[in-house]
Amino acid sequence: MKVVIRTDKLSKYYGKGGEIKAVDELNLEVYEGETFGLLGPNGAGKTTTVRLLNCIIKPTSGAATVNGYDILKNETDVKRVTGLLAESPGLYEKLSAHEFLDFMGALYDVPNNILSERIDDLLKLFGLHERRDYLLEGYSRGMKQKVLIASALIHDPPILFFDEPTSMLDPRAALMVKDLIKKLADSAGKTIFICSHILPVVEELCDRIGIISQGRLIAVGTVDEIIAQTGTKTLEKAFIARTGGVEEKELLAWREQKGANP
Amino acid sequence: MPTPKWLVVARNEYRIRINRIRKIKPYFPYLVIGLLAVYVAFIAPTVVNLFIDDFLAFFFSQVAVAMVPIIMFMIFFYLIILPITYTLQGMQAGQVEIFLAAPIKPSDVLLGEFLGVMPFYAIAITVMAGFFTAALNPLGLDMLQIAITVTIFVVTFLSALWVGTVIAALVRTKFAKSARGRDIGRALSLVLALPMIAVMYAIMGGGLLEALTDPGTSGMVRTILGLLPSSWGAEVIVGFASNPGNIGAVGFETLTRFGGLVFFFVAVLWLGTKAANRAYSIEPTTFTASRAKPDGFFYRTVRYLGGGGSFGTLLASVFKDYGRRLENLSRIAYIVGLIAMVKIFFGGGNEDPEGALIMGLFLFPFLAVLVVGQVTAGGKESVFIYKKTPFGVGRFVKARLLQGLLVAVPIGAAITAVSMIQIPQTTLISLLTYTGFMSQLVAANVALALGLSLMNPEFSGNTRAQMVGLMVNAQVAMFASIGVFIGSMVVLDLGFLNTVGLQTVVIWLLGIVFLYLGKRKLSRIE
Repeated sequence: MKVVIRTDKLSKYYGKGGEIKAVDELNLEVYEGETFGLLGPNGAGKTTTVRLLNCIIKPTSGAATVNGYDILKNETDVKRVTGLLAESPGLYEKLSAHEFLDFMGALYDVPNNILSERIDDLLKLFGLHERRDYLLEGYSRGMKQKVLIASALIHDPPILFFDEPTSMLDPRAALMVKDLIKKLADSAGKTIFICSHILPVVEELCDRIGIISQGRLIAVGTVDEIIAQTGTKTLEKAFIARTGGVEEKELLAWREQKGANP
Repeated sequence: MPTPKWLVVARNEYRIRINRIRKIKPYFPYLVIGLLAVYVAFIAPTVVNLFIDDFLAFFFSQVAVAMVPIIMFMIFFYLIILPITYTLQGMQAGQVEIFLAAPIKPSDVLLGEFLGVMPFYAIAITVMAGFFTAALNPLGLDMLQIAITVTIFVVTFLSALWVGTVIAALVRTKFAKSARGRDIGRALSLVLALPMIAVMYAIMGGGLLEALTDPGTSGMVRTILGLLPSSWGAEVIVGFASNPGNIGAVGFETLTRFGGLVFFFVAVLWLGTKAANRAYSIEPTTFTASRAKPDGFFYRTVRYLGGGGSFGTLLASVFKDYGRRLENLSRIAYIVGLIAMVKIFFGGGNEDPEGALIMGLFLFPFLAVLVVGQVTAGGKESVFIYKKTPFGVGRFVKARLLQGLLVAVPIGAAITAVSMIQIPQTTLISLLTYTGFMSQLVAANVALALGLSLMNPEFSGNTRAQMVGLMVNAQVAMFASIGVFIGSMVVLDLGFLNTVGLQTVVIWLLGIVFLYLGKRKLSRIE
């Protein structure tokens, strides 16, 4: 199987002397056409990894290739072959959905003769066609998320990065996005890289997952393999076993001050 | 062939700005060009003709030699801080991520952002250049001189705007990534205007022009001004005004100064594109998280003043939230700076307390409005926190009122005391009496400002929107002060202290009414 994303000791350190290790010697391979999920608690390094692989920030050390392009030497090529739904992207609130997608299409050099039709098709797919000319400032968070997903797809890239794709969506929209991701992977042959801490989403969509904690990749494999590695029964338990959690006896300890009602 | 990326960004930037007037969007360029043509061809020459004798006298006087570089400098400085202020007021780093993820060079983004706003700046440039050209035209300048004059305006102002745009992009990168940085940015956006106001006040009331036309006192200022690119063009324009139709008489000066200006423009353009890589980055620049210290004497006192119980805790929390936002502190610095400048440039030589304090009657409403700020700027969510708790809204309003009083009254008292101390015949009794009266007035204005702020809540975090709301509130508060002042001093001739007393009573009453209505409005917000 062809490897489309490969990292070799990819690291991103911050602070004096690099004491904050956002990503620490990450070795990862993602295969063409697979849906890969990167799981991790908040601040584990998921978003930093995605930003590194999209050439948004530069690594401190190590190397990575995306679709065969070096993230340091072929930045523009990497950007052309990837689509990104960022975790907290900035929308131009004073643009309509159509205008925003038109702008994003132009940034990615989508030819004019297909751009307009593609925008219409995407807006119809996401149920936003009726509101295509409304300014984004009036959209709900879920609707904005749909526009952002559409913008990641606008240039039809072979590799898609979704950072928390369903976190702001209602169940119906989340189901649609999950179905879309499945279709993109199964029928359109896209390689999809999902970052999330919503375990059922990752469990349902991903062929393989990696668990990252404090910048280090601590487990890689299929869901079954990860569960087996930790000797647990569910992905949730496996995740907690790998990343740590709160003991059950500590959960109500906060009520036990002197003088407080029993 | 794909559209150049800078053009894509410029088009997008233009769309964003034009969206406020979407309905006339298709006709907007034609409308603007038409109006500007009318302005340049008819309005500006007509206005100039009304004052033609004054203009001619001005251009032939020694004052013009000093004044034109100052005007050019002020416009130059203003056009530099305009994009910076605009960026600081509404900073968002998220959009940078869109550009960084796309196949586009940072220099294209910078150029596109600049060109996208250019049509709007071009309006301002045309208005200014059109006016100055109309003013110079009666002197009998030839076509080449007029062409060079117009070019000087365009190049000088474009240089300033480009420098401002580059600095704005760098500043956004520095500040927009963290809440603390955005707070610093918003704080800076307000105080950036103070130096220009100082120059303006110095011209209007500080005798700056007179000092500059005096060769004995103007040497250093003129030398400094002469080093600035804004002055190079000004010198050429003054030279043309002295030698209309004879460019040869100032040929060398024209060549060096105008050439220098063009070179400066090309140089900043080049340097700006080189700086673009630094201007678009979302790499964290700091990991120093702000940390709260244990409550010291000040917050313990605030807690005590709030009764020590749960309301004391609430008051201390409200105070902490207020005091830790630099934006609030910068508003205080801004109004105190403004009052100080008014005192320095317009308030000299008062022999009696009334003369020294009369400005306060009109400036204290501003002080109160800016100290109180937008109480709902934290967004509806923070209002809902209070709405959810028992008697929450009432306690919130009470806490904000007490907090406003604790900040504004000492400032008002200190300003009054300083003004009084400068009067030779001030006694301790008169100092205390006037300080007490003026402090009461400030307190009343705080109540009114808070009431107005609650009545006209601004939930957005955008500084521009907040400042517009505050200015509306300030106008209302000032209108109330002026109304009572005219009624009391001019119509009833009650004297200064009685006027202050009456103002205090009326504004307190208005404040109580608005506080009640504001509280009711806040309770009903959904």
